[in-house]
Amino acid sequence: MNKIQASEEFKFIREMIDRTRKITAGSWMFFLIWGIVAILGVGGMYALVFVEKYSWIWLNWIVFVGIGVVFSIVYGKRIERSKGARSYAYIATGHVCFACGMAFLLVGFVFPLLKLYSWGLIAILISLIAGILVFSLGGIYEWNLLKWCGVIWLLGSLGMVFIHENYRALLFIPLILIGYILPALVLRSMYKKQSEEDAS
Amino acid sequence: MPPEKFAQLDPVIHSRIRLAILSILISVKEASFNYLKDTIGTTDGNLSASLSKLEEAGYISIKKAFKGKKPLTTCRISEKGTQAFSEYLKALESYIEFKE
Repeated sequence: MNKIQASEEFKFIREMIDRTRKITAGSWMFFLIWGIVAILGVGGMYALVFVEKYSWIWLNWIVFVGIGVVFSIVYGKRIERSKGARSYAYIATGHVCFACGMAFLLVGFVFPLLKLYSWGLIAILISLIAGILVFSLGGIYEWNLLKWCGVIWLLGSLGMVFIHENYRALLFIPLILIGYILPALVLRSMYKKQSEEDAS
Repeated sequence: MPPEKFAQLDPVIHSRIRLAILSILISVKEASFNYLKDTIGTTDGNLSASLSKLEEAGYISIKKAFKGKKPLTTCRISEKGTQAFSEYLKALESYIEFKE
């Protein structure tokens, strides 16, 4: 064993470890479904505002978020079974998503119902938590695109401060397109490329 | 530094496949046989032999079960294996730090 061989062994070890930490291209569905669910939620909310059915806005969000949660649990279990390994990165992701999910629930439903703050603040706080979630995922998987998406969400939450509270949630649409749909599309093209390579 | 000052490389770990197995198991809670085979890119026979050697040394634990009718083998690194891997890395560092 010499210095060069030892360095090569370190590189080899690093490569093996990296293979367990790469975000699976199959994760694109999570980003896509949550992006779609969020856009439909915002659309539904403004439609209800337009027809002046304000008391149904909570139900709108419960339905769409509920769809997202059920999908995440079912699809998440399927991915876990098909992967054959539970990496610590995957376990950390699950915990971060669960914690942020609980935060979304408290900030979006519980605290407004307890009248701790006006409904106009919800969009800012939701963007803040989304930024923390997406940035943290970028850190866990060492994926710079996700880290930048997280920063955009955080800047979005700051931008909302300067928008009238009636229109704040509209800023969700570009944030979701950049912060969820874009990573979904990038991962999907990686997944297709990976599947083609595996097939050949 | 004369050669005898270099740390001894654990012969159980000092093999490409066994090193790959431990590198993967150090990052995951547990991994299936097929996951290890696909990630490392080796054959069933080579992987089985390497897993047996690591299990004999007490570096990993192997659990065999059935998923429906299909056999399912899952592996985990043991505390002894984690310690041994850590010492292996330190031993490798001693080669890199050596200045001729």
